[in-house]
Amino acid sequence: MALFILRRLGSAVGVIIALTVVVFILQKISHTDPVHALLGPGASQAAIHAESVKLGLNKPLLSQFFHYLDGLVHGNLGISYRTRRPVAADLVEFLPATAELALVALVMAIGLGALFGLLSVRGGIAARIFRVVMLLGASTPGYLVAFAGLVFLYNSLHILPATGEASPGGQFQTGFVIADNLLAGQLGGAWDGLVHAILPAFSIALVPAVSIGRVFKSSLEGTLRSDYVRTARAKGLSERRVVAFHAIRNSVGPALTMTGLQLGLMFAGVAVIEEIFAWPGIGYYTAQAIPVSDFPAISGVTLVLGAGYVLINALVDIAQSLADPRIKL
Amino acid sequence: MRRVRGVLPVPGWEDGMAMPGNTGAPVASVKGLKVTFERAGEQIFALRGVDLEIAPSEIVALVGESGSGKSVLGLSLLGLLGHNSKPVVEGTIEVAGAEIGSLTEAQLRRLRRESLGAVFQDPMTSLNPTMRIGKQLAEVAGSAEACVELLRSVGVPDPARRLRAFPFELSGGLRQRVMIAMALAGSPKLIVADEPTTALDVTVQAQILELIRSVRDRFGTSFLLITHDLGVAATVADRVVVMYGGRVVETGRAPALLGGPEHPYTRALLRSRASLDGSGPRRLSVLRGEGVDSHSDLPGCSFAPRCELAFDGCSATPVLGSFGDHQVACWRAGSAHSPFPEDDPGEQAPAETPRSRGLASVKINDVAVSFKVGRGGSQLALKALRGVTLDIEPGGALAIVGESGSGKSTLLRAIAGLAPIASGGVEIGAGGKVQMVFQDSGASLTPWMSVEELLEERLAVCGVRDRQERRQRILEACDSVGLYRQLLPAKAGQLSGGQRQRAALARAVVVAPEVLLCDEPTSALDVSLAAIVLNLIADLRERLGMTLLFVTHDLAVARVVADHVAVMYLGEIVEVGTTEQILKDPQHPYTRSLIDAVPESGRLPVPLKGEPASPLSIPAGCSFHPRCPSALAECGERPQILKVSPLSRGHFIRCEPVLEELTWR
Repeated sequence: MALFILRRLGSAVGVIIALTVVVFILQKISHTDPVHALLGPGASQAAIHAESVKLGLNKPLLSQFFHYLDGLVHGNLGISYRTRRPVAADLVEFLPATAELALVALVMAIGLGALFGLLSVRGGIAARIFRVVMLLGASTPGYLVAFAGLVFLYNSLHILPATGEASPGGQFQTGFVIADNLLAGQLGGAWDGLVHAILPAFSIALVPAVSIGRVFKSSLEGTLRSDYVRTARAKGLSERRVVAFHAIRNSVGPALTMTGLQLGLMFAGVAVIEEIFAWPGIGYYTAQAIPVSDFPAISGVTLVLGAGYVLINALVDIAQSLADPRIKL
Repeated sequence: MRRVRGVLPVPGWEDGMAMPGNTGAPVASVKGLKVTFERAGEQIFALRGVDLEIAPSEIVALVGESGSGKSVLGLSLLGLLGHNSKPVVEGTIEVAGAEIGSLTEAQLRRLRRESLGAVFQDPMTSLNPTMRIGKQLAEVAGSAEACVELLRSVGVPDPARRLRAFPFELSGGLRQRVMIAMALAGSPKLIVADEPTTALDVTVQAQILELIRSVRDRFGTSFLLITHDLGVAATVADRVVVMYGGRVVETGRAPALLGGPEHPYTRALLRSRASLDGSGPRRLSVLRGEGVDSHSDLPGCSFAPRCELAFDGCSATPVLGSFGDHQVACWRAGSAHSPFPEDDPGEQAPAETPRSRGLASVKINDVAVSFKVGRGGSQLALKALRGVTLDIEPGGALAIVGESGSGKSTLLRAIAGLAPIASGGVEIGAGGKVQMVFQDSGASLTPWMSVEELLEERLAVCGVRDRQERRQRILEACDSVGLYRQLLPAKAGQLSGGQRQRAALARAVVVAPEVLLCDEPTSALDVSLAAIVLNLIADLRERLGMTLLFVTHDLAVARVVADHVAVMYLGEIVEVGTTEQILKDPQHPYTRSLIDAVPESGRLPVPLKGEPASPLSIPAGCSFHPRCPSALAECGERPQILKVSPLSRGHFIRCEPVLEELTWR
């Protein structure tokens, strides 16, 4: 286990360095000038030069790169050109909302995926309808699902709220609306946060849910044909017990792998969905940073997501080894 | 009475000997059972009218080849037919007083829980890999004490500790004991055991067969033992039921039936079986024709298309009738059926045609192979081969035998250049080419390529450019392995098991190799198919002068194909000599135990205790000493050296005490 953690930490460091290189190369070849963007079109040559020196942009790229890495080691992600605040502080502000949204979406994706697999194996008309609806939803672009949801559930039926992560006047410390309210014992506030998250989370979760569900279904079907399931039936166990105690645990492996892969894609989908729902998260922050070439902000977000991806896949591996004792970490 | 060589009755089994509790109502009774499946729009006739009774505490062996319907009959008795395909069932199945067809699903489950047990072929795949065995047992046994008691009753050492183990942490033999313990929970009246020893090593097989008999003796449980191996049937069964094409063709008390079979199929089956008796390599007699066509209704006798004795009357379905001391379903049973026209061609020595000159020798010089398993800090070296030296003359045939983990397959791979040789070397005389044939021919043929493309590829690699010549040689190769030319466009998935193994052989010989390496090429095949493939390999060897190395776990097969035998244990050769020396006069205690464990030759197999140690932790000193029935104190101290026997040259033994004894003889 200790070795496993060390290996994963090593790979996280590798991913972060590689991402930093990519971001720096992008910065070099993008021909955008953050100083121009910052100071506006009317700035004087002298002012531009002074700002460049202040930001360290006049130094050679390699030295900028090592300067940045040095900062990283000390937890310093640099200063955003746009907000003029440390990127780390910006991330602390925007990341929680995204993390919470992603977590709700993940739970939904896993839940719907599990349902998809279990219902498909059980068969019947309800299972078929569910599958068709899910497949239709998953083949629709996420923003269209979000839009349709807004039109019906907010506009026509008034069941769900439209935008934001909480109702006006909601109380919370950080961007974790649901977690903050739960910790404070405010069930009403937590519920409000959850209700706000449902539609955006569903829009993000639909595609991963079907991917996870299909993998789970085929794995479950394979397991139900296996010799040990035949043994379990020969023992006279009920079909429900056979599925619950013998089949599911042996079928989750591929579905877990798929979940880890889908999480990466989910972060990509978050940016668009956050825009639609005015969700004050990292996607929104990034969308603001890109037009003004705010490279410290862009690379800060990239690195955090990269590290998150490594972390999530490490968690998936741990989950795999918990499900199957033959897998040693 | 004519006796067919092969399986003789076990001594001490006289007819009429008191069998425990052979009276009372049968625990299972099947009448007129017909089972038909529908698969991909086609009907499959699995059972075509079967009658069977199993008496209390009786062990009935159900013998047949694939497609005979024996497993379907087993599943019918368990009420497990309807799970994956929708079968049409006619006839009645009565088990433990209940008529299976009339039960609800819940009643069926209760019947399985309380009156039935099941043991399947491969205990590795038949136990839930992610559930501790204690929990798997407790599902049927209830309390932990009951689980411990069950494990103890099937001879699992240290049962309380084993409850916490996962199946992959147990050896193959222990896993099968756990399966039997699970089947025993709830004191069932009948246990259906479907090929319970087929996946096990021969020494472990003997232990499990002994356990089955002892379970019957102690608990009075009846067994339906499904097997393709007549030797297994001969050693444990009270009664043998032979099936062919979904029908019972012959049944009777084991000694009577196996000593004097009446049905032409039973006779053919016994004859085509490789056995330890007899001397020298020989051709096995072969059943003509293809296996049963399960897609057609087959009115009349299922076996008639392949039967040498068939006549017009065989178009009517024969019924089981008493003949002597057993029952036969054959119109010609007991009538002028002897002499069999094809009787005993196997007895004749191979024709004394001058063997073509051998092409290449194989010299294996102190070869060691080890693999790294695990990773990081827990990395271990698996010593698969620990210095193997062998010298095979041009045109020779060497069988390499041993249990799993002995390194026999690794040796073959090392010769083929497919295993990383750590030290030592392999020298193939005159730079000869090597070809390999594997056990699972289905998996070794690329699924999307036709047979013709596979052969063509091989020719192209060997530099045959001319299209005309390639075509010619492909046709010749087909003919030489007996593969119908019409099958050339077929892909592996469209071929039967025997056809696939022929295709694999055709690929190996289309450019004749100087050395042919065979890795258990017949162990996945039915007895009659295996005979064909073994004969084919012998023919090819004769004709092409190939040097043959043949890995097998089956000593009887070794006798048929090889002139020399090397016995391996944990990466070392423990004994090597001529086939005659090894099989008739084995010296190393391990070789003796292997031969004693083979279930046949008119005796009860003598199981060797324990199971092979893991090549990850090889015992110090003589690596066999922990299991050796005649181990001395010093055997655990010094490693043994392979030395020539003082009695006969060319016979090498890795056992100092035995060598000493031979010197004094």
